[in-house]
Amino acid sequence: MESVFIDDVSKWRGAQRVLANVSVRVMPGEVVALLGPSGAGKSTLLRCVNHLDAVDEGRIFVEGTLIGYRQSGDRLYELKEREICLQRSRIGMVFQNFNLIRHLSALENVMLGPLNVLGTPRAKAAVRAQELLQMVGLGHKASAFPSQLSGGQQQRVAIARSLAMDPTLMLLDEPTSALDPELAEEVLATIRALAAQGRTMMIATHDMALARDLADRVIFMEAGAVVEDVPARQFFESPCSERARQFLKRLAPQARAA
Amino acid sequence: MSAMTERLVAGKSKFTVIHRRSWLPWLLAALILAVGVRLVSAAISSRIIDLKVVARYIFSEEILTGALNTVLLGTTSLAIALVLGLLVALMRISRNRLLAGMAAAYVYVFRGTPLLIQIIFWFNAFPTMFPEFALHLPLSDQPLVQAKMTDLVTPYLAALIALSLAEAAYMAEIIRAGMLAVDNGQREAVKALGMTPVAILRRVVLPQACRIILPATGNQYILLLKSSSLASVIGFLELVRISTDIYSANFRVVELLAIAAFWYLVMTAFVTALQSLLERSFPQR
Repeated sequence: MESVFIDDVSKWRGAQRVLANVSVRVMPGEVVALLGPSGAGKSTLLRCVNHLDAVDEGRIFVEGTLIGYRQSGDRLYELKEREICLQRSRIGMVFQNFNLIRHLSALENVMLGPLNVLGTPRAKAAVRAQELLQMVGLGHKASAFPSQLSGGQQQRVAIARSLAMDPTLMLLDEPTSALDPELAEEVLATIRALAAQGRTMMIATHDMALARDLADRVIFMEAGAVVEDVPARQFFESPCSERARQFLKRLAPQARAA
Repeated sequence: MSAMTERLVAGKSKFTVIHRRSWLPWLLAALILAVGVRLVSAAISSRIIDLKVVARYIFSEEILTGALNTVLLGTTSLAIALVLGLLVALMRISRNRLLAGMAAAYVYVFRGTPLLIQIIFWFNAFPTMFPEFALHLPLSDQPLVQAKMTDLVTPYLAALIALSLAEAAYMAEIIRAGMLAVDNGQREAVKALGMTPVAILRRVVLPQACRIILPATGNQYILLLKSSSLASVIGFLELVRISTDIYSANFRVVELLAIAAFWYLVMTAFVTALQSLLERSFPQR
């Protein structure tokens, strides 16, 4: 069974179409990179997978569960907030701007999910949080606050925070875009470790190095539509579409550096 | 190095820096001091305040009762206003347009009407609209509680209702401003974890919003303590009313008003101290 099945999804923002008949299948353990120019719809698509944004047409399934709606015949009824929260708790998301809670320490940030969503007792949540921080290499920074951490460290805490919920799927929305190359490398290493663990991941990124390094498959998008959906190696060596070829050519120095 | 640079560098090993000093601030300070001294000496030499009278009334029972009533009214109405204000703020930012509209209308009306008018309304007009106050058990004819509205609505209650409702309108805006200041990204991140809107409010938004809400609330508290003096028109025995009653009898206007001012300053000092204390428990991060 697929981890993610995006079925003919479309979305409009006002008059503009931001997603156009997008269909994607992600198998368990696969790492899929969403590539494309700005405004292609990569982030929008990710945000629809955990219903942070709603789709206008089509359906999205995660682990066989229809996300955000209840299907009755050919009608989709939006679920209650509580039910959507439950669905979201099985999907982890990492944002471009880290979005750590500013008045909580790194440890408290990582504990947020288990404490408030899973109802884990405080002591147990704290132990697990410490382990996760250790795993991303920030065990010694447990009591630091976001303002005291570098961008790369904040992003790693954010990753630990979503891992604390033990998600079946990880969505990463431009995880390294707000970081300089050196800090991006730390985060890259962490994501590499996650991929090695066999986690299913969808990563929207501009970072060619990341895509080349980690992706099993590349989905190239433009203007809300999927232009190409091929194994990663095939995409970087001999892309089918002209658009993809242009895209890679423009980013050639970055790609070669990887 | 050019010849000019060599000349500049040669010889000296260290330069002493002398910052420029302006004489203007000192002149202004001296002027203000002179004016202040002139005012105080005029007040003292004209003997507008008879200290014996002040000493007689400043800690008297009536004055202390008045001061206590002021604090009571101010504090209880702030407490109610905080709860009501939070409710209205949540309605204001809700996605339901009807709720948002009603909340906006509430804020407009209760901020826009003078407090004096609101106080008089609740004391005089409201009991006329509902002469009887009765609580019935459902399906029963016998009332559980029954009273005449004019008995129920004492000056204190009318003032409490008026101040609470008016203050809630201001607090709603203050709370809303505090909540808006928390960036959306943080909200989204915890939404993605699966946190419910209530949990997000409690754990993420309000703790951070408090940093903005607290100083503004301290401000409002002090204003509220002084606005309570308006309740004197409906006969509530707060500090200003008591003071005016006393000076109506003994004609010592300045002394009694000075006493009232003194106690207001004491209350303000406490609120300021309380605010500093609370602000320290929400430290900057």
